[in-house]
Amino acid sequence: MSAAVEEISANQYDERVLGAETPVVLDFFSTECPPCEALAPKYEAVAEQFAGKVRFLKIFRQGNRELATRLGVSGSPTLLFFKSGREVGARMTGEDIKRSALKSAVEALLP
Amino acid sequence: MSERYDVAIIGAGPAGLTAGIYAARARLRTIVLDESVPGGQVKTTHKVSNYPGFPEDVHGSELSAAFARQAERFGARIRRSVEITAHDLSAFVKTLELDESETVEARAVIVATGAKPRPLGVPGEDTFKGRGISYCATCDGAYFEGKDIHVIGGGNSAVEEALFLTQFARSVTIVHQFEQFQAEPASVGEALTNPKIRVLFGHEPRAFHGETALEALEVEALRTRERKRLQTDGVFVFVGMVPRTDLLARYVELAPGGYVETTDAMETRIPGVYAAGDIRVKRFRQITTAVADGTIAALAAQKYLR
Repeated sequence: MSAAVEEISANQYDERVLGAETPVVLDFFSTECPPCEALAPKYEAVAEQFAGKVRFLKIFRQGNRELATRLGVSGSPTLLFFKSGREVGARMTGEDIKRSALKSAVEALLP
Repeated sequence: MSERYDVAIIGAGPAGLTAGIYAARARLRTIVLDESVPGGQVKTTHKVSNYPGFPEDVHGSELSAAFARQAERFGARIRRSVEITAHDLSAFVKTLELDESETVEARAVIVATGAKPRPLGVPGEDTFKGRGISYCATCDGAYFEGKDIHVIGGGNSAVEEALFLTQFARSVTIVHQFEQFQAEPASVGEALTNPKIRVLFGHEPRAFHGETALEALEVEALRTRERKRLQTDGVFVFVGMVPRTDLLARYVELAPGGYVETTDAMETRIPGVYAAGDIRVKRFRQITTAVADGTIAALAAQKYLR
């Protein structure tokens, strides 16, 4: 696993996502999910590109169902974007997340 | 940095991977490019029952992986999760730029980009995508453990995926515009006798409603024009596919529906550029017809390159 993307669990959500000083991207992923497999290398590549400026986290849906339900996440992969403790921008979900589109969404998080 | 190949195949579904097998076995330097992992639509199909050679059902993900392994065994290079960010297919040597960072050159290109799920195009669909609306049962089915969900559509995908979803959901209601299913009789029979499946024929979705996540599906009874809101935990949409022809649209005029016309040797109007699989104008789109297209495209490209 790349060091640029770190896996968290629901009990770290408040601190690592809402309490983060930098903008955060959070990826809800599942097993037996080809679109998640397809996203992983793109997610890591973009994470490396923004290392130090934006934090890239991922969270395993099956192990963190309650948080997924609370956030209204019902599909994998789903990317959520956070800035100063609030979710911002449009979520990205499903098979068709392009690297270029992800990059633009992340750029929009930066001042 | 630029890498040179004989054939570049765009799309690693059944058509593209079969083209890859044939091209690589013909000792052509072959690369297969995909924005996702190999398999195309098959990789997220729960099970495949009509692909010859598998007397028992085979999981779509396994069949996809087998196609890919076979192509790689003969030397085809498969690049996963790459995006084509620029392209020139009209020149004698065609060029494809990958992720704005590398360039692939090839004298022949086989476009096998397939199709993606057709959205319903009703209000609320974009808002609730990933918040209750899904187009992939294998990916998202497990989110709906013990829930009451709806499936839109009445073809093979809708009926088969509805059956798959019964292993998670408490109830699955299929909403279909016609008075009967268009799916194969074998799966229709199974669906109609499944205690978890209900069917609402003669209804069309009109809107999705909810606060932050999807809560209700609004449908219209086509005969009476009466509209009603159905409480739902989730909706899976299987109402056909739209071809992925963004790449080819710059070079050829597309037929109605966005499909690409080819000769029976899979040639497009551009010399050295072939189209294979679901993106073609044709009557039947099956895994078996896609692999046939891929075969023909690779053989035709091989002749062209000689």
